[in-house]
Amino acid sequence: MHPSKLQSLCLSLLIAYIAILLPWSGIGLTLRPDFLLLVIIFWMIRAPNLCNIGTAWGVGLLMDLASGGVFGQYALAYTIAAFFAATYQRRLVLFNHYQQLLYVFLLLLTSQISLLVLKMFTGSQPAGWQYFLPSISGVLLWRIALMLGLKTGARSSGA
Amino acid sequence: MIKGFNHKLEQQPAPAFFVRGPSSFARLAFFSALSIALIATDSRLQYLAALRQDLVALLQPLQTVANAPAQLYRNTDEYFTAHHNLLNQNRQFKQQLLKQDAALQRLSTLMLENEHLRNLLQANKALEESSIVGEIVHIGRDPFTKKVIVNRGDNDHVVAGAAVVDAVGVIGQVTRTYSGSSEVTLITDTSLAIPIQVERNGLRAIAFGHGRDQTLDLPFLPANVDIRRGDVLVTSGIDGVYPAGLKVASVTEVKISADSPFARIVGVPTGGVENHSQVLLVSLAHSEMWEGDEVITTPKPSTKRTRGKPAPATNNPSKIHAPQ
Repeated sequence: MHPSKLQSLCLSLLIAYIAILLPWSGIGLTLRPDFLLLVIIFWMIRAPNLCNIGTAWGVGLLMDLASGGVFGQYALAYTIAAFFAATYQRRLVLFNHYQQLLYVFLLLLTSQISLLVLKMFTGSQPAGWQYFLPSISGVLLWRIALMLGLKTGARSSGA
Repeated sequence: MIKGFNHKLEQQPAPAFFVRGPSSFARLAFFSALSIALIATDSRLQYLAALRQDLVALLQPLQTVANAPAQLYRNTDEYFTAHHNLLNQNRQFKQQLLKQDAALQRLSTLMLENEHLRNLLQANKALEESSIVGEIVHIGRDPFTKKVIVNRGDNDHVVAGAAVVDAVGVIGQVTRTYSGSSEVTLITDTSLAIPIQVERNGLRAIAFGHGRDQTLDLPFLPANVDIRRGDVLVTSGIDGVYPAGLKVASVTEVKISADSPFARIVGVPTGGVENHSQVLLVSLAHSEMWEGDEVITTPKPSTKRTRGKPAPATNNPSKIHAPQ
């Protein structure tokens, strides 16, 4: 259908995954945005025929593998976030930049809250407020990407 | 403006706008069910352990790529370290080596003496241990657990259960091994408990990781327990996992409240996880451990046998010296 798009989808996922695999530690680990989910959301807006809930689930499994936790946790969290992304995908052309940022923030938060609930079911300690920082850094990253001219399908705020 | 908007509409191909295939709700239901099945399988059953090992082995090249920038930075940093810094460090190391050499000489005589005394008492041999130096590759990525990844794995005969120590104390335990790396759960993780002994009075207890901050808890000890602030906690060695006498933590807080029958005791680990990158993976020889168990559980038959006819003792080489 769009071989070039498919290639760039795979490439961007690969780069995001390597970014996750970087040896983060300390404050960097606390602030690390969820690169993979950001890439998934971007492609779900941009090319929903290539990237759907199934893709998000598969990528979530990769994330489970990288985190060393129980299989299926990130997969479920990504699936839920991707479901909301898919549901509101058609309305996105009406959003301006700031509405889109809020929308992305809510998606990131959804995946984090789902993950938190799952982790607490499997016997982890409840996390502190710092746990939600990656959602904020993720949105900031999205904002930077918009400023650098990434086309995310939103109208510029002036229009 | 309208022109631009039209242009945008033209850019986006029509099929991309309408997703075909099953509805997103159907997909959500399907993949959620699949995830939940996976979670249940992985947390309760052991089927996925081998699969995970294979997948991690496949991931190894990507991991190497991801580690390359940090490695490069470290290498250049080392390269440009000032000359006198290195000289100073070298001098320090030499002094340290001298001190440790002296201690080591005493240790070898003590070990001989210890063995002799154990023979006299007909006690079991102390557990032999094998160790291997590893390097912490990266800190675990899961914010809920305290884990680190070390660059030694199955290929270096690291087994799950091996104790991990650094120069100043116990850090944790190997919980999962892959072909070229292994996952170490730190003692501050809530899922890890470590049998300890107070160095001052030999009191035994179990320390649990606290999880959130870098501390250990000693729960379920009575309010009148003889533990004070500053006490050093060492491994007791009765679990057959950790060698005895390694430093674990020092007590920083002992709180006794009237409304609880237990004292609240908090310790801070002596081993620095964040500070060191070199660690030692210590595993006890398990065959020896089993022999030890056998002797403990059936002391009478074995002594009878050795007293009655000395020959059978030879089929168990490690116990040849025991009756002398």
